[in-house]
Amino acid sequence: MTDTAVPKSRTKKQSLLKQIMTMPAGAILLVFATLQIVCIAGALAFPDDFRYLSPQNLTILMKAIPVLGCLALGAGILMIAGEFDLSIGSVYTLTAVLMASLVDGGMSAFIAAPLGILLGVMIGLLNGTITLRFGLPSFIVTLGGLLFWRGAVLLYNGAVQVRFDPEPAFSSLFAGTLFGINAAFIWIVLFVIGFYLLLHRHKLGNHLFATGGNPAAATAIGINTDRVKMIAFAIAGGMAAVAGIIATARVGSVQPGQGAGLELQAIAACVIGGLSLRGGRGSVIGIFLGVMLIHTITDVLLLLRAPGFYLDMFIATLIVVAAAFNHLIERRGAA
Amino acid sequence: MMSAPNLLELHNISKSFGALTALRDLSFHIGPSEVVGLLGDNGAGKSTTVNLISGIHKPTSGHLSVDGKKTQFTCRSDSADAGIETIYQNTALVDSLSITRNIFMGRERTDAFGFLKQAEMRDIAMEVLEKAVHISGIDSPDKLVGDLSGGQKQAVAIARAVFFKRRVLLLDEPTSALSVRETEALLAQVLKLKAEGVSSVLVTHNLYHAYQVCDRFVIMSHGTKVFDVQKADTSISQLTEYVVLT
Repeated sequence: MTDTAVPKSRTKKQSLLKQIMTMPAGAILLVFATLQIVCIAGALAFPDDFRYLSPQNLTILMKAIPVLGCLALGAGILMIAGEFDLSIGSVYTLTAVLMASLVDGGMSAFIAAPLGILLGVMIGLLNGTITLRFGLPSFIVTLGGLLFWRGAVLLYNGAVQVRFDPEPAFSSLFAGTLFGINAAFIWIVLFVIGFYLLLHRHKLGNHLFATGGNPAAATAIGINTDRVKMIAFAIAGGMAAVAGIIATARVGSVQPGQGAGLELQAIAACVIGGLSLRGGRGSVIGIFLGVMLIHTITDVLLLLRAPGFYLDMFIATLIVVAAAFNHLIERRGAA
Repeated sequence: MMSAPNLLELHNISKSFGALTALRDLSFHIGPSEVVGLLGDNGAGKSTTVNLISGIHKPTSGHLSVDGKKTQFTCRSDSADAGIETIYQNTALVDSLSITRNIFMGRERTDAFGFLKQAEMRDIAMEVLEKAVHISGIDSPDKLVGDLSGGQKQAVAIARAVFFKRRVLLLDEPTSALSVRETEALLAQVLKLKAEGVSSVLVTHNLYHAYQVCDRFVIMSHGTKVFDVQKADTSISQLTEYVVLT
């Protein structure tokens, strides 16, 4: 990254702040860091009223982040490739219900969980096939998926909660602790590293950015954009199932209505993290910071005992501001 | 006739899209180290010809020859394998990626697991930018293509073609988005490449730019060739007449 011996450039040296702002995910990093400093300062100043740093609160945060994190990583990869998946919230519930009821029927969770992921991948591929074969907007196709699979959960299971009672080894793998750190949080960190390598260090990542950034150029250079998009759809579906597994292992049961609205939160996290709605722009670290930011704000509002609607209003504002900011950056890039 | 075989020949090519006949019995060739101007008004069939040579369209009848051997392009990589690279006006690069990543787009250097050899690609990109193209203002291969001007983008596309050892460059309306200075640089680039043995086809309706660098002109009208002439045997007014009046 170091620029050595830059020959005479006509552009002036930018201030550090501007340099950070133009970095991918630079702005969100700045916002996140500022929020953390304020929260930590607040927690140190009022340790009894604002328990941000209490072990209980940190545990809650670490448990909450992975579910949205997995959904957002999958949705984000797909957004970078230039498509949407609104069905991930429903897929998240459907695959969790499938896994829980299989385990209830006597199957090992170590077999049921991969089956759940397989179902997620299959639904992702189905979304991709319909979208690409008929040339439809994925927004509409997966909106159909959202409603269809939400209904399918009720058809398959009814509106009752499903108990999830896996073998202890499975529980500790996804809901236990390692060195005092929540296992689910370790998983999400591993996923973030894996997705980073895939998106920013692997050939496929380059093709994903090209497919979303300029489909005509990608095709002209010989990239099979349909194949790249299918892979992205499959990843989005698979990660929705992974989120379902992590959430179910933590809670020990599945509510048929639990996934509603999560797809929008995942897309919100991506937008806040600097992904373009037109595809081709974004970073894994941005997605992760977007997720962390949503959960930090949720957490702070809970600690302040603010009514729930404040949360919605806060996130809503954040999304619009983030989208406007991204648009500015994009226009500057296109100029 | 020339002694060396022609790099590319089109033999009696016709192309129909349903009821529309885009090309009729079109034949011409591109020789080694030659700059050919493919001229014609809008709708003359230039774009279809470009797509056909790039392998995007297949001819309804007739065939192509590469190095004198009859061949058929079924997809774009076939024409790339034959050493032909099409450089479209603005479409061949991804704005949100760096110059390095654009140069190696679809042809990444990777290890056995598909992970990118970033340092190696960056070094090559640096070298390509220094040696193959001298368009001012590109100081780092890490720059995003979206931050470049039209001429700089085209220079990157040409650098990419040169690096991957193309023998024929198809430049589709190369000067339409360029400033005067950038146009001059581009045309100089085309001549420099010719000296190095790379042929170019300038597909354009700007006769003046074509006249500056082309050795030969192929004029198309209504999907077929109406004129094929060496520069020495014609003038710009005669070319204009053929483009406008046929």
